[in-house]
Amino acid sequence: MLGAARLSSNVTRRNFLKTSATAGAGLLLPFHIAGHAGNSKNSGPLATAPFSPNAWLELSPDGDIKIWCGKSELGQGVRTALPMIVAEELSCDWRRVRVAQADLEPKYGEQLTGGSLSVRTSYQSLRKAGAAAREMLISAAAAEWNVSRSECRAESSFVTHAPTQRKLGFEHLLAAASVLQPPADPPLKNSSDFTLIGKPTRRTDSLAKATGAAKFGLDTRLPGMLIASMERSPVYGGTPLGFNADEVKSAPYVRAVLEVKSAHLTHQFGDTSGPGSRNYSCAGVAVVADSTWAAIEARKLLKVEWHEPPSASETFARLREKMLRLASESGTVIRNDGDFDQAHRAAANKIEAVYEVPFLAHATMEPVNCTAHVRGDSCELWAPMQIPGAAAASVASALGIPRERVKVHVTLIGGGFGRRLIQDYAVEAALISRDAGAPVQVVWTREDDIRHDFYRPAACHVLQAGLDAQGQLVSWRHRASSPSIETFYNGAGISPQAAAQVDSLDFPAHFIPNFRLEFTVAESGMPLGYWRSVDASGNQFVLSSFFDEAAHAAARDPLEFLLAAFGPARKIPVGNGETLDVGRRRRVIELAAEKADWPKPLTAGRGRGIAAAFGWGSYVAQVAEVTCDAKKGALRVDRVVCAVDCGTAVNPLGVKAQMEGAINFGLAQALKSAITVSGGRVEQSNFHDYEVLRMSDAPPNIEVHIVDSSEPPGGCGEPGVPPAAPALANAIFAATGKRVRRLPIRAADLGSA
Amino acid sequence: MAISFTLNGKAQSVDVSPDMPLLWVLRDTLNLTGTKFGCGMALCGACTVHINGEATRSCITPVSSVAGKKITTIEGLSADGSHPVQQAWMEEDVPQCGYCQSGQIMSAVALLSKKPNPTDSDIDDAMSGNICRCGTYQRIRKAIHRAASMQAGKAKSAA
Repeated sequence: MLGAARLSSNVTRRNFLKTSATAGAGLLLPFHIAGHAGNSKNSGPLATAPFSPNAWLELSPDGDIKIWCGKSELGQGVRTALPMIVAEELSCDWRRVRVAQADLEPKYGEQLTGGSLSVRTSYQSLRKAGAAAREMLISAAAAEWNVSRSECRAESSFVTHAPTQRKLGFEHLLAAASVLQPPADPPLKNSSDFTLIGKPTRRTDSLAKATGAAKFGLDTRLPGMLIASMERSPVYGGTPLGFNADEVKSAPYVRAVLEVKSAHLTHQFGDTSGPGSRNYSCAGVAVVADSTWAAIEARKLLKVEWHEPPSASETFARLREKMLRLASESGTVIRNDGDFDQAHRAAANKIEAVYEVPFLAHATMEPVNCTAHVRGDSCELWAPMQIPGAAAASVASALGIPRERVKVHVTLIGGGFGRRLIQDYAVEAALISRDAGAPVQVVWTREDDIRHDFYRPAACHVLQAGLDAQGQLVSWRHRASSPSIETFYNGAGISPQAAAQVDSLDFPAHFIPNFRLEFTVAESGMPLGYWRSVDASGNQFVLSSFFDEAAHAAARDPLEFLLAAFGPARKIPVGNGETLDVGRRRRVIELAAEKADWPKPLTAGRGRGIAAAFGWGSYVAQVAEVTCDAKKGALRVDRVVCAVDCGTAVNPLGVKAQMEGAINFGLAQALKSAITVSGGRVEQSNFHDYEVLRMSDAPPNIEVHIVDSSEPPGGCGEPGVPPAAPALANAIFAATGKRVRRLPIRAADLGSA
Repeated sequence: MAISFTLNGKAQSVDVSPDMPLLWVLRDTLNLTGTKFGCGMALCGACTVHINGEATRSCITPVSSVAGKKITTIEGLSADGSHPVQQAWMEEDVPQCGYCQSGQIMSAVALLSKKPNPTDSDIDDAMSGNICRCGTYQRIRKAIHRAASMQAGKAKSAA
């Protein structure tokens, strides 16, 4: 099998298409116009070799431009936005751009796709990559015409010399440009000269995705490939003591029944785990067969006796009690401004509330899978992965081979949301392929996916706030307790501060004079992970809801109360090297409120709620509008209006899509989803008992308004998630007077208070 | 024993276990991977195909039950993405991760064949069995309305 990157030299387009399609590299050609070649009158001889000045792009003699995407396409649109950045500076014809997925290779730099980082961290380097090529093409044309290069400019795949009205297509300059030294620090365009960045641009992969041609991990097909379905310990950390291998092996089309050992996983940012780290793949028994159906059916015959860890006694009810108790007591102080106790004693009006959020599974639509082929001391992987480098390291360690001997192909990904940051499935596939002596695709069923995820931690929060006689917030104490993702990955030896699942980067820290934030870890056997927007997914629900409670306690309009709390536009360093721009923060709140007709009264049973968040370099505010029938426990989200300031919006169409999707993702946690545990086992198994948002639950309208900005790009995958649940909960309060303090929202929560 | 049916307009015969779901026959036996596995319980709609024109979840449909019937998969809708629903999907820039979209499109095509001009409520009824975890529902709704207009325009110009 050939990966796209191996084809970087001298390969015809036809061959490239063929091999890439076979490799599942997901080549996409929506902008390619067959037969459209350079049409300049004074064309020189066409080059025969492509021009590849760096890892990111290659110009072909036929006028096509191939741009590699170094990040994983999870649906967030990196195969559109990142090539746009290169193409902008290259000044090429966007319709001739073809996008290829980069395999795992050092020349592509950091290939972690997460933290809403892709555009933010690639922006400057990809601009430079495109600009360097552009400058070399301009130099080649200037030399050809014997004119000053300052008189030449590049546009739409041509270099032009205005004084003499001469023009050469890029494809005629490839040979001359190829012998030039790439400039180390090429000039970048002024944003006012952008022709692509900032223009709404359709996705490069929608044709493949609308025709079924798109190849996801599960669509990988290799000669001689077998399929494995694996029974994992129902309690995380358990191991098989014995199983009926012979009986299962006699089932039709079964090739092998294998024990799969648990293996430690390399953490996303390198192996930082200390003693007590619980970051490993599951042990279990794999049934390897000729087809997926045969493997799944034969697995039903398996009888496994398990050795179970102490967490086999865990139940959610007891964990909840523990979290409630711990959040009611003093914990590790994360932030302490002023004197909460004194200010709170003196407050004229006090409120207190308990908030709860559950464990959540990612439930990506493409079930977890990996195809591996182990041959001797080498391994090749094809899978949906957010950190292919960590997968390679984990697999190398599990197999006892050098990391360089693990070759990784990143496929299209049928949803990530953080699940594919933890690549336990790559280790499983490699171990099974080794023991089966064949290429093997491990296919997780939906039941496997729901029961063996790395879950968003459940949490309990106890909050107190005090207002003075003028209705100003003077005291705020927030105590939280939950299992800790950080100790799960890094071990129990990390500091209590590092283990905290709350931070004070966001509101209302910095805006209340007497503010105290505390956290206590609640131990749990559950495997934990990063769920789209991580801590903020639950914490923002708590913060923005309780803040709304304070506004109502002060008998003030929640929008006015929010803006008053922020005060005038200014910049505040909030820690972690981040700066909160209060002006930008106010602007999105004002914009969302204006577009949602905030002051306009609604009929009885309807209500509006507002919530806002800052994070990942972006500012988001959302207003939800709901209709509630408290008697029937019925709720409809009529619309959500969202304003976002993400700095430079590279592809506004993609930014809107991310906000729409994030709102629906946030509403799913608000309305539908919860994971519980009993006997150490996850109680849910499929979409009937782990519900997610469906068409009939989704608001008919989501409006997204993007603030025009030339600030550096901010992230867009995550920041739209946190405000959705509290905007909804605040709207429910406005409509019914009933305060939602626990997710997901239950029909009973809407009834009379 | 061989089971025969019409697949995307062509005669097809497979020799597999009769209780194997059509989904796995398509994906594993016939290598038509456009139809997706999502839940195995007809809860998510990723595996939707047409059987005699009806939107059907192939993950719970034993292949023996489709003998003699006409099956259309996403690959059979058009060779080049030219079906009005596929065009509308691209115009509205619907897909994100795209994994559920084959099933969404097959459900939408079946809806439009019965109700050429569906209301929002018709769309809710027909599409709520298809989960999209990326949350493209609003764009799916717009794309269905757009496809309805496109097909109406086509019918008008043909009349």
